[in-house]
Formats: sequence, C-alpha cells, structure tokens
Amino acid sequence: MSDNEDSPPRRKLYDDDEDDDSENEGSEQEEEAAAEDDGNRRKPKRAKHRHKRDALSRFLDIEAEVSDEEEEEEDLSSDGEAGFITKEGAHADSDQDEDDIAGLHHARVDKRRLQEENRTEKSAEEIARELADRYGRGSGFGSHRRFTGEMSEIPQRLLMPSVHDASLWQVRVKPGREREIVFSLMRKSLDLEYTSKPLSIFSAFQRDSLPGMIYVEARSAQQVNQACNGLVGVYPSRGIHLVPIDEMALLLMIKKVDGGEKVVPGTWVRLKRGKYAGDLAQVVDVTENGEEVGVRFVPRIDLNPREDDGGGRKRKKTPSAANTSASAMNPTSTSRPPQRLFNFEEVVKVYGRNTVSKRGQAYVFLGDTYKDGFIEKDIKLNSIILEDVNPTLDEITMFSNNANNLEESMVDLSIIAEASRKAALAVLQPGDHVEVFQGEQAGLHGTVQEIHGDTLTIIALDPSLHSQKIDLPARSVRKRFKAGDHVKVMQGKNIGETGLVVSVSDSHSNNRNSDNENGGAMNENTIVTFISDMSMQEISVFSKDLREAAEVGNTTNVVGEYELHDLVQLDLETVGVIYKTHQSSFLILTQHSQSRLVQPHQISLKKSDKSTSLHSIATDSQGFEIRVGDMMKEAEGEQRKGRVLHIHQSHYAFLFNRDYTENGGVFVTRARGLVSTTPKGTLGGKLPPGADLTKMNPAAAGGAQGLGPLNTNTNANGGGGLVGSAIGRGPKDRLIGAHVVVIKGPHKGYVGIVKDTNGVGLTGIARVELNTGNKMISIEKGKLHRKLPNGTTEPVEGPGANWRRQPTNGSYSSMGPPSKSFSVDGSGNRTPGWGNASGGRTPGWGGSGGGGRTPFGAGGSGGRTPFGAGSGRTPNPYAQNGGQTPAWNTGSKTPNPYSAGNQTPAWNVGSKTPNPYAQGGGSSSAWNVGGGGRTPNPYANKNNSSSSGTGIWGGATPGRWGSDNDRDKDKDGDGGGGWGSPTPAGSGSGVGGWGSDSSWNAPTPAFAAPTPSAYAPTPAIPSTPGFLHLINGYANPGFGSTPAIMDPMYSDYGNFAPTPAIMPPEMFEMMKSRAFMDQFTRDEYVPSPAWLTDPGLSSHLSLLRVRITGTKRDKYLDGVYDGLHARVLAATKVGENFEQTALVKIEGKVPASTSSDAASSSDNPSDANERSFPMKYLVPVYPSYQDSTAVILYGPRRGSKVKIRQRPDEGNRTELVVVESIVESHGGSSEGDTGGLGKDKGGGAFWECQKDWMCVCW
Amino acid sequence: MSDAASAIIPPTKSRHLRACLLCSIIQTSSDFRNIGCPNCEEILQLKDNPDRILACTTSYYDGVIALIDPEASWVARWQRTAKYVRGMYAARVKGRVPEDVEAELDSRGIKYRPRDQSDQD
Repeated sequence: MSDNEDSPPRRKLYDDDEDDDSENEGSEQEEEAAAEDDGNRRKPKRAKHRHKRDALSRFLDIEAEVSDEEEEEEDLSSDGEAGFITKEGAHADSDQDEDDIAGLHHARVDKRRLQEENRTEKSAEEIARELADRYGRGSGFGSHRRFTGEMSEIPQRLLMPSVHDASLWQVRVKPGREREIVFSLMRKSLDLEYTSKPLSIFSAFQRDSLPGMIYVEARSAQQVNQACNGLVGVYPSRGIHLVPIDEMALLLMIKKVDGGEKVVPGTWVRLKRGKYAGDLAQVVDVTENGEEVGVRFVPRIDLNPREDDGGGRKRKKTPSAANTSASAMNPTSTSRPPQRLFNFEEVVKVYGRNTVSKRGQAYVFLGDTYKDGFIEKDIKLNSIILEDVNPTLDEITMFSNNANNLEESMVDLSIIAEASRKAALAVLQPGDHVEVFQGEQAGLHGTVQEIHGDTLTIIALDPSLHSQKIDLPARSVRKRFKAGDHVKVMQGKNIGETGLVVSVSDSHSNNRNSDNENGGAMNENTIVTFISDMSMQEISVFSKDLREAAEVGNTTNVVGEYELHDLVQLDLETVGVIYKTHQSSFLILTQHSQSRLVQPHQISLKKSDKSTSLHSIATDSQGFEIRVGDMMKEAEGEQRKGRVLHIHQSHYAFLFNRDYTENGGVFVTRARGLVSTTPKGTLGGKLPPGADLTKMNPAAAGGAQGLGPLNTNTNANGGGGLVGSAIGRGPKDRLIGAHVVVIKGPHKGYVGIVKDTNGVGLTGIARVELNTGNKMISIEKGKLHRKLPNGTTEPVEGPGANWRRQPTNGSYSSMGPPSKSFSVDGSGNRTPGWGNASGGRTPGWGGSGGGGRTPFGAGGSGGRTPFGAGSGRTPNPYAQNGGQTPAWNTGSKTPNPYSAGNQTPAWNVGSKTPNPYAQGGGSSSAWNVGGGGRTPNPYANKNNSSSSGTGIWGGATPGRWGSDNDRDKDKDGDGGGGWGSPTPAGSGSGVGGWGSDSSWNAPTPAFAAPTPSAYAPTPAIPSTPGFLHLINGYANPGFGSTPAIMDPMYSDYGNFAPTPAIMPPEMFEMMKSRAFMDQFTRDEYVPSPAWLTDPGLSSHLSLLRVRITGTKRDKYLDGVYDGLHARVLAATKVGENFEQTALVKIEGKVPASTSSDAASSSDNPSDANERSFPMKYLVPVYPSYQDSTAVILYGPRRGSKVKIRQRPDEGNRTELVVVESIVESHGGSSEGDTGGLGKDKGGGAFWECQKDWMCVCW
Repeated sequence: MSDAASAIIPPTKSRHLRACLLCSIIQTSSDFRNIGCPNCEEILQLKDNPDRILACTTSYYDGVIALIDPEASWVARWQRTAKYVRGMYAARVKGRVPEDVEAELDSRGIKYRPRDQSDQD
C-alpha cells in the first residue's frame, strides 16, 4: 500500500512525497501497483469487458476501431491519470492491433519521463504539489476507490468563493418544480456532454427554503440561459440574476429551522396526520439517523366496530394491517374512537383472540405494538409536530395516571416545562413575586418591576441588596409562592379557581428521575397545592399558572355550552335552571324547586333563549303578560321578588334575585302567582310625571282605551300611549309579523316580514327579515309597504296606513259611531281611516298612526292646509303627534301664534283630545298649541267664507271634508254632500260638530268626557285658518286677521291665550322652504308633441283645455293665437310622416284672420273659432283652481278624471295637488260642459297628483 | 477534466431518494443497494446491505445540487464534494454516520464532518 493513498490529509501527503522524492520511478511503480490493487474488484469486470471488446474488434472495420479507440480513451481518461498510465501499461502488450495507440502512449510516457526528469530541477515542494494534484485527481478512480475524505481538514472559511470562481446565477422557476429542474439540468448536461454544444455550467442547486428559484453556477448568464433553454418550468425571461459573491456561501448555508435536532426521548410531540392527528405523543427513542422516532401515545381502538363491514372477524384476520387497523379503529372518518389505553381483555372480546398476540411485555394487535396500554410506533419525523406542542396537564396525566411507578419516569415534567417556557414567560406580570433559580443570582427573591421581552427587571427583596434592581433573563426566574398566599389559577384546567396555598413543592418526585441536564429546567416550575375557595378541595398546579390574587370567586360561569342561568332540559319532564357552575358540574334548580347536581352529559339539551324563553308567554295573577326580564314578585306567600329568567310552559317562572342566597338566588314559582312589581307601564317604560293623572281619570283612561291601539304603537305619545299600553299590555308593534315589501332603496322590491320595530312614523326603523336570503335588514318604515292579502300594498306608516287600526281589541268599538259616519261619507272603504283605501294619500285619520292626528290628516288631504302643504307629502309628522314636522315644532315652541289658532275645540276632540287635556293641559302648552296647529281650520275658513257653520270644525276630522262639502253646498245648495253628512258642520251649530251630534258623543265618552272644551270653543276656529293660510302662502287676509276668540271654556285650561293668529315669520319661511324642497325634487312632466293622440285620453278628449303656445316663435299663423286657450274637439293620429294636428275650438276673442287662414277655413269654415292646430303648439292647461276637474295625462292613472281638491300653486308645475278621483258612473253626460262638480257625488279616492300631469277640463 | 465518473442520476419523481450521510450524494435506495455509494463505498459498504443503507443514508436532506463539473465548481468545493463523482448531492443532510464509521474515519485520520452544517468553521 502506498503511503500516498493512505494519508488523506495534505500535509501528510506532502511529507510522504518528500520521502519518496529520491525514488520517483519507484513511487510511480508503486502507484501503479496500488492502482491495480485498488482496482482489484473492478478489474475482472473491466478485463472481461476489455477482452470482449478485443475479440470483437478483430471483426470490426477501421472506423469502428477508431471509435472504439476514442471510447477507450475516454474510459481511460475518466479513470484518471494514474489509472490511465497503469492500465495502459498493463494492457499495452495484449493490444496488438493498436500500435498507433500504443505509440501514442509511449510518446506520452516519454513526455512524462521527460517531465519527471525535469522535476529534479524543481523544488521539492513543487514536486510534491504536482504529485498531490495528480493523486488528488486520481482519487476519482472508481466507485470503490479509497475514501479519503478530501478537504475535510480545510476550514470552511477558506473555501469562500473568490473572484476566480464561477458565479452563481439565480433563475426563477415554477414553484414546486425546483428539485425537478435541478435534476433535469443534471441530466441535460450529461446528455449534451459529448455533443457539439455541451452545457458549460458547473452545478445547479435548489434550496427547499427558497421556493421558486434555483441557482446555477456558471461563468456567464449566457451559459445559464443556454442551460435553461427548453426546460419546462424555468423562467429565464424573468431575469437571470447574479448572486453577489458574498452571498454565495450563504445560499448553501441556509439551515432550515426544524426541531429535528431537539428530539430526545421524553419529548412531547403531536401526531400530524391520520386517526391520531393532534394527539399528544411522547418520544420513546430516536433512530440513529434521526429520521424516525419511536413514540408512544394513547390508542384509539374502536371497541364498537361496525358490523356491516363484512364481519369483524374476517377483517381482523386480514394480513394487511394498515388497512384493517384503519378501518377497525376508524369506522367513520367523521368520528374517531375515544382515547383509551389498550386493554387486552376488551380488545380480545371485541376482535377475537387471534388478533392479539403477545410478545414479551407487549401486545401486537393489527400490526401495532401496544405496551403498557400505549401504542408504540415508529413514526417519521415529518409526520409529527415538534413546535407548539403545549401539552395540557390533562393529556399528560393520561400518560402518567395509568403508568406504574416504573413508567412514571417517562413523564418528565421538565419537558413540559421546557415546552411551555415561552408561555410561562407571558404569564409573568409586573408585581409578581419571583425567585431566581438559575444563574449567578440563583436563590434571589424579588418582585418583577418591568418586563422587556425576555429580560426582567426585578427588585430584590433581600435586605442586603437594598432593593437593588437587577436585570435577569426571564427564563431564570420562577414564580414564588408560599403557604398562605391567596392565588388564582390563570390557565389550565383549573382556570379561575382561587384558593389559599397550603404547600409548595419542588416537584421532587420528578427530579429524582432526571439525572441529566433537565435537572436545571426542573426547577423552573414548582408545584403549588392550594385549597380551592369554592370546592374546598386541594388542587395542585404549576406555579407558572398561578398568580397572587385577592379576589375570591368563581369566574367559570360557563361550562361547555352551558352557562349560568341557562334553562336546560334534564329529562322529558324535568327542566331546570343552572344556578351554580362547578368545574365540570352544575347545580340545577328544577321546576319542582329541587336542587340537583348534574354533569354536563346529563343535560339533554339547552333550551335556547330564542326558541323558547323569549317567546314563551305567561300571564301573571292579574292576567297580564309576563316576559323574560320582567321584575315580578310573588303575590302571596313569601312575596319574593325577582327578575324573570325563564318561563317554562307558561306555568313555571324561574326568577332570580341576587339577594337570596338560597340556590344562588334562583327560585321557581308559578307564573300565575306573580304580580308585577312595577305598576302599569312597565313596558312603556317612560312614565312622565303626569301619567298618574291619566290613570286617575277614568274618562281619560277610557279615552285612551278607545284610542289605545293607535297610541300603543307610538310610545312617543303622551299619556295616551302610556295608558294604552297599560291596558293593552305590551307595546309590541303590530307591525311585527307583517308582510311588507320594500319600496325604496337598495332592497326595493324585496318582500319580508317585520321582526322588530324601533321608533314610530316614517322614520322609525323596522327590522325586516327578507324572504330572500334569510337576511335581516333595518329599514325605515317609510320605505315599507304592507302587503295585503289581496295583493295590494299600502304604506305601513303615515297616510294610507290604516291597517293598524283595524279593530282588534275593541278599542274601535268605542269609535264606532264615527267610523260609521265615516263610512257614510262615501269615501269607500276608508272606514275608520280616511286615507287608507283612497289612494293612500289622505293622511286623514288613517294616516295618523297615533289616532289623534286627525285634523292634520285632514289638512293634508285638504292639501291646502298650511300644514297640508307639508303634510300632504309627509304624513309622518302628523302621524306622530305632529311633533315631527318642523313647522309643527316651531309652532310648539311659540305658543302664542298657535294658541290663537289652537283654540279650536274641534281639534281637541278629533285628535288626541282627551289625553292632552286629561293630563293637565297645562303641562304641555306646546302640545296644545299643536292641537291648535293641526286644526283643520283651513276648512273652517272655507266654511266660514262659504257661510257654512263654523261648526265644521267642531266636526274634528270630518270637519275638513265637511268644509269641502260646505263649499259644495254653497254651490249646489246640497247640504247632504258625502262629506258633509257626518259633519255637524252642516248644522252650523257653534258648538262644533261633535257637540251637536249626540250620537257621536254618546258612544265615545272618551271624547266627550275629558275634553269638554272640544265642544265649546268653536269661535276659535276662524282665527286658526287664517294662520294656516298664511303658511300656505295664500292670501287670505280676511281670515288671517281674524283674532282668535277665546272661548271661556278654554280659559279654564289656561293653555290658550287669545292671541290673534299670527304666523311667526320664521315658521313661514320654514314652511316655504320645505315646500320648495318638495317641489324641486320632482321632475317636470313634458307632454310629448303628440300627447293628444294618446288613446288613454280619448274618452276625455273633448274636455281638455289646451293652450296654444310656440306659434309666435314659429310664426305659425303669425302667432296670433299664441297664448289663447282652446277646447279640443278632435285629435286623431295620422301617419308618422305628417304633423299631428288637432281640431280645436279657440276660446276667447279670435284675432283677425290672417292671410294664412286657408287651412283653418278648409277645416271648418263655418266656425272661425274652430280650426285645426298642430299638436305641437297645444299644451295642457294645468289646473289652477280648487274643485276644477282635470284629466290625468301621465302616470298610472292616466286618462282618469279627477277633481282638484286643493288649490294649486300657480308658480309651480310640479307641485303635488290633492285630487279626488271622479267616479265615472255618472256617465259622461253629467260631467259635461259645466263640469258638474256638485253632481260628482261621493267621489273616489283622494290622492296626490303632480300638477303638470294634469290637464284641466272645461 | 470534466469527464469524471458520474453517478446514476435518479429519477426525479422517485420517492425513495436518500442521501449518503458521508458524501451527501443522492440516490435511490435501490441504487444504493445495487451499486453502493459511488464515493464512499469503500468505507460504508452499502452495497447489498439494506440495513447499512438505512443507517448510513437518510431521506432527510435539504437542497439538491446538480454537480456537473465537480472540479471546477465552487459549489462542490464549498460542499467538499469536489473530488467526488458527478451526480446529485444534497446541500444539507440530517444525521450522522454510525459510530463505527466515525471510528473508522478517525482511525484513518480523516476528520468527519457531518453534513448537517452543524459545525462550520
């Protein structure tokens, strides 16, 4: 054996070489010999190959020989220099045919010799280096060449790249294919090695921690590009970046962070996949190469295997343990068997004796080994989780509990401590009392002052240190407790427990077994035993989980899904309320007032609040409804008070009062035996001081009852609302449960059910559960329409919303008479509510959800009431006590002006009358004012003007209409107009409609009784209207100036000052601006040039009044007709190419005929006023007078004929005008030439129409 | 001298790739069994010795290096594989060779350098 080969380190080589220096030849020969020797194993093979080739070569032609030759050369050269020579020498003789080659080799040998001769002239070191080079290279000899561990002596730092080395180039590749591509590069380079274009890269590599890129070692980027060309998944186009030379080494030094190194026996790990995924396991041993670890964990053997999978027996015998164990232990993927230690008897019973074999101390079952109840398995390192294992004490006890004494050593608490060291750090808080257990300061006590990351500042308690501040690594301290400390458990199973420390142990039992470096860590956590304040049991926990705490208490109100005070079902008959929770049990008070201790599994279900309690309703001893959360007390017996927690089957009520110690303050009683502790109005909740008055006044109460249903919907109401709620018991908005459709906003068109409401009026919010998508939305009530069974809809709030008042609880019965009278009025189905059916616009009664608002409603529909201007559109204000309308509010604040107007008794009657007054009107002057404000006065005015009785007003609501009727009466002399009829107005009695009509008064004491004023003060009326008119901007000086006359009756109340009705200017402005707002939010309607040909208008065509316009501009007929009005006689559609014309009769003075009269004369020569006019010059005339008839040109009611019920504003085209549909039953004839307003008995629905949608009739 | 002997280049998709703990060459386990480790067979004796293969090779390695020209490559020098055959090498191999191998290396005066980059000087 040559020394050279034997001595891998260079230094040695060098020495040897020097020794050999003198005999070069000899060394060479030795080398050869060595090489032969080394090649021993390969030689036979090689020789054989050789021989074969030689034999063949005889039959090969020269070319083959040549190629053979080349191959040979390669072979040899690949063997390395030394081998080359050796073999050449060895085989030269036998290769007779290859003289040339032999010659060549001889030449080489000669050359070599020459060199060797020269070598003598070289320094010994040089020679040595040469040799080293040679041998170094020669070591690439065969697969079995001697392992020399080249270069392992050289420190890594000396291997750092230099500028002479090839560069590294970063190439982007498809993530996930890095490795594949590196392999491809390798193969590619081998494939192309002997082609004309070999790859000139030196290496390529990939790191797992650098996804999406590979690095190629090459001299130039061009070479890299060439190498990568054609490989799938390589993106050289994304740039081939040079890696800076100082980063090259770093790329290869990347160390993947993996915990593999720290796996030692005893470590806790978690299993990553399979049935045991997530289970805690303990490392038992680690294989030498560290890729597999033996772990043990608690098995999950299915002891109730399903019968259906081909019979357990057969399956069990299946040799393929993997499958069977999977199926046997995991019947369904959804549920896995519980963790349970392996029990030979049990398993044998279920799976049969043959399935389990015993090997020494262990059992083998389905291919797995079970020892001491645990399953022991070798698992690959990559299928366990090493980080963040955080074993809980529960899990560890599973390992420790069942282990015998011997096994106890396996449970090395130090490892848990290690694992949770970080967690323990987080547990430290300033102020904690700690002791240092390792390091220089070991044994020191102190309190934590500050925490900076891993560093603590503690103040030493040792007197010799003078409260010095010391910085320490956090891991070197542990919390310190001493017996007598009051502590609280901060984490773990016993979290929330508090107690007194009785002992602190250094966990000696564990220390005993840890003789290694873990001993230090052992000290980190002591085990503290304390007596729980709650259970009086000893509890042992790690000190890290404790902290000193002053509080005593059970913070665990929640166990599992059950919470304190939950109503739970124990069995079919028994329910109970949890009144105390323990760590894993409850104390429950059943409905039979028994206390039971139950475990969570004994609870069959939790009665969810939503499904039961919240909606379970019981009645108390007085028949009132009890709801969860009410404060009730027992009517008899102990008279215990309490808050209702749950109601069970409408019979038992569970109440809670923390003042009672028994059963945690929970008690159960019969719901029937309860009485509310809060007198009426609990639910309304807002008892104004004046409420008592209301209650005391039976009349008022009665009145409230009458109006109850209305008022209850609006808690904002005054006393009325309260009283109502007291009686109606429950403010539940009747809107709740209604089917509604959204008419505005992003949810427009959606249908849903109202689940809850908040607030009243159009701006109130309703929670609507949409039928679609099971979605809850909150939406203003104003955007909702109620869906009626007949498919139509109506607003839920405001005018037209009458549904609320459908008599449900008899309140309406008290309203009986009025409703009757209303129905008489011919407004169709508007019973009780005015507004409802008729176009939904009339705020009328119906509009006022609150019931009181009548006057307003009237005003609104009257259109002209000052308020009406605003109110017509926004029923809300009125619906809601009027309080919302700005105007109204303003008014309310300035009593005076109103007080003037207020006085109308009618108002009081109609509206909420009873209440405000009943409540002591004095308290709410504003309100009273409001009352005045709402007075339908405008009508009163009209009445007055028309000389009809002032009493109209007295009629309260109907009054308004009465006024119209009165008007009609004036014209027609027909006192029996539909509207008029109910109104006493007709009677003209000064006492007001109500007063005069006994039939009304009688049934509704509510009205009559509390507000005597209602009847008296008619005289006030005149004043009001004036004011209102002012608001509307109507010049009605006559009324406006009328001073309010105070009735003596009013003065009794003292609310109404006899101030003349004066409109405060600001209010006027307000109203105006409001009106403008309304006006400009609507679009103008511009009729199309051929609007007269609209088939919808054909029936009324001859009635239309049109104006001629635009002729001047076009010089049509010299424009002489411009501005004149005309009656349409006929209009027929002609072909599109022709100008649409209409035959009109021009009213008024016909201007002198012009020369261009030919056309007209041809149309109708007989009448100069009749002529044909291009339609484009004819525009509709908007209605400008109240009570005029008009035809609707546009919109859904196009073509219908209406009567204007509100005096339109002249300047504003888009104003909304209240109109009344004219019932066509009278036939066209009666509507004829004069309009026949008086003959339109009854009329139709009232609604609002934009003015420019109408064309007035002649 | 780029035409050194090359190891068998294993198929990329092979699931049984293992890296030699001594020289970090990557081969399939069947290749290890059939031909042994092309670099360290003399000392590891892996051929036809599955147990030995399990002990001296591992499937836990990180980073794959395609060593095309070991002698000219700096990467190879850095990885101390410059004198080895061409082939696929791992950048980092987890684990140490069995103790007897370490003893053998020691007796030969070869410093054993684990391939897990645990000691870099």
